[in-house]
Amino acid sequence: MKSIRIFLLIALLSTITLVNFIAALHGYRASMAEAERLFDRQVIGTALLLAAIPVNERAPLVVKENDQLAFQVWSRDGKLLMRSDNAPTDPIGDASDGFAESNFSGFRWRVYSHAADDGRSIRVAERVDLRFRLADEVVLQSVVPILLGLPVAGLLIWLVIGRGLASLRQLTGELRRKRAEDLTPLALASPPEELLPLVDSTNALLERLQASFDRERRFSADAAHELRTPIAAIQVHADNLANSLEHSGAEAPDSLWQLQQSIERMAHLVEQMLNLFRMTPEHYPARFESIDLHRMARDVVAKLYPAFARREQEIELRGQAAFIQGDRFALVLLLQNLLNNACKYTPEGGRITVAVNQREKCVELEVCDSGPGIPADARERVFERFYRVGGDRHESRVPGCGLGLSIVHHIAELHRARITLGTSPLGNAQLPGLMVTVCLPLPATDVPGRNAKVRLETNSEKNQDESRRA
Amino acid sequence: MLLTSVILVLREVLEAALLLSILLAMSQYTGLAARWILMALAGGILGSIAYGASIGTVSEMFEGMGQELLNAAMQFVIYGLLLVIGMLLIWNRDGKQQYLKLLQWCMALAVALATLREGSEVYVYMIAFRHQIDSLQSVMLGALIGAGIGFSIGALFYYLLVGLARKRRLVVALVLLTLVAAGLCLQATQLLEQADWLPAGPPLWDSSALLPENSLVGQLCYALLGYEASPTLLAVSAYLGGLMLMALLLWATWMKTPSESGREVSNEFA
Repeated sequence: MKSIRIFLLIALLSTITLVNFIAALHGYRASMAEAERLFDRQVIGTALLLAAIPVNERAPLVVKENDQLAFQVWSRDGKLLMRSDNAPTDPIGDASDGFAESNFSGFRWRVYSHAADDGRSIRVAERVDLRFRLADEVVLQSVVPILLGLPVAGLLIWLVIGRGLASLRQLTGELRRKRAEDLTPLALASPPEELLPLVDSTNALLERLQASFDRERRFSADAAHELRTPIAAIQVHADNLANSLEHSGAEAPDSLWQLQQSIERMAHLVEQMLNLFRMTPEHYPARFESIDLHRMARDVVAKLYPAFARREQEIELRGQAAFIQGDRFALVLLLQNLLNNACKYTPEGGRITVAVNQREKCVELEVCDSGPGIPADARERVFERFYRVGGDRHESRVPGCGLGLSIVHHIAELHRARITLGTSPLGNAQLPGLMVTVCLPLPATDVPGRNAKVRLETNSEKNQDESRRA
Repeated sequence: MLLTSVILVLREVLEAALLLSILLAMSQYTGLAARWILMALAGGILGSIAYGASIGTVSEMFEGMGQELLNAAMQFVIYGLLLVIGMLLIWNRDGKQQYLKLLQWCMALAVALATLREGSEVYVYMIAFRHQIDSLQSVMLGALIGAGIGFSIGALFYYLLVGLARKRRLVVALVLLTLVAAGLCLQATQLLEQADWLPAGPPLWDSSALLPENSLVGQLCYALLGYEASPTLLAVSAYLGGLMLMALLLWATWMKTPSESGREVSNEFA
């Protein structure tokens, strides 16, 4: 069934048509029979009237009559006493009393023969076709309204069904308008009894979903938070161990260095997890202020410069001062994550550029590197938590936890920004590089909101263009 | 006049509408787009007007038996199409989606031919009354009532079929198609008897007192089962022959087509 409305319209209209038309047919048949009886009674009445008229027996009287009726009055000895002008001079019908049908004057007639008390025979005939047509005309007038009423019934049914389905339409509209992250209960003003179970179970489902999301979020945040302290303690103990070994003159074993590396990675992971959950748009208490993104990028680059220097990478900041409304802490985190990623994945001696430019509708932050880039088919997924291109066997063999771009995504969502991943102009055939573009809306045109939706774009044409240029 | 025209139009419309609803339900069953139906109906209606308009020429062919022979031929062609449709439906019962284009064409052709045949009779009947102004209203009203009843039964019948469980729907539709097809054989035989191509024997029985052909139930039985109140021996034989041939062929196709459950099992092990 494609549409409930069309189904109901056709099914109801068919039922009404069927029932009404069959009733009309029966009505027609019954009315026709009744009309016949009525005409017959008229004919009998005429015959009785003729029987009561005294007639001069010497000369036959010819009476003018209309087309429909004809009559003859015969004497007991078979002499024509009186007739209508349209009746023949021969006897019509048979001599027996009652109704019979006979043909004369070119038509078929219904003839009533009546024997009067004085022995006269009276024959009254009525034209069958005219009788039928008259009855037909009268009866048809009662059938026509039924037929004419049908389109009206169809229109009314259509409107009534539309009215009846309004709450269903409202419900679908409500569900369609709902955004993926919106788990608030459906608000349907006085839903009908039939929809109540659906609304209730949907709301219960949404509630359970919200609760489980909250639980998951809280658990991860709590777990990360609780892990912070013991990790810090282990870190201190490992450092102490390294120091005491150094003081005692013994050489620190290789495993101690590996232990310190692992602790560092774990601390980073926990830190990233906390950042991720902090940056969830629904929970982050953002404080928007006017920020010069170019200046902020310069500060972050300066802060991270030692990491780039260690890997002998060339980092360049381009563009000019561009102001946006944003949350300082969140944006610094966004820049840090993007730059950390660029630093990690760009090979030693590679190039990285950061550009902040004011465009017509937004401030564009562009981070390009000369690393391995992200294949087009994986670009949608890199924003998922813990997703890493190529899984654990990441080609770059760079340690990471797969949360950086999720955090970036959350922050972009917070600022109603648009992220585009593409191929970097700094790349080459082997290492195509990654270009991350974040379009942050200008304060005048768009006020950042907390329930903002982020749009991910992986513009393949644009990327192809860029790879050609590269 | 009204009753005569109700009976005549109802007879023709009901026959076409029932076939149309069975095929439409099956089109929905196999997941075909229903667009073919509009083309088939348009083609059938145009064809019926053309056929009705040239009925004089057609009648004069074959020594004045052109109309009977052509109609009988059309009935046999529709029978053949229904047979192919039934077999293709069985073949596709587990969603193989094979020969769907052929199925669609057969359905469209069957509907177009049925519409052409039934439509031309209505057309010829209505055209005969076009100059009789006094009975025209009665005839038109009768035709409207007949068509209304016919289409309504067709529509309700369609929803009845569509409402059946998927597995049962196919079986019911196949049984109905077989009955309709057998009815077509019977009608074609009667037409050939009228044309003196087959010897017309005395009626085998007369059940017109029990179930008159002109009653609504009689009309329904005529359209669905090919009911005839006083058929000849030859007509009954043609009915049974057509019925058995189609039933046998469909049964054989059913047996030869791997069943749905079998396919699922083989998929699991694949």
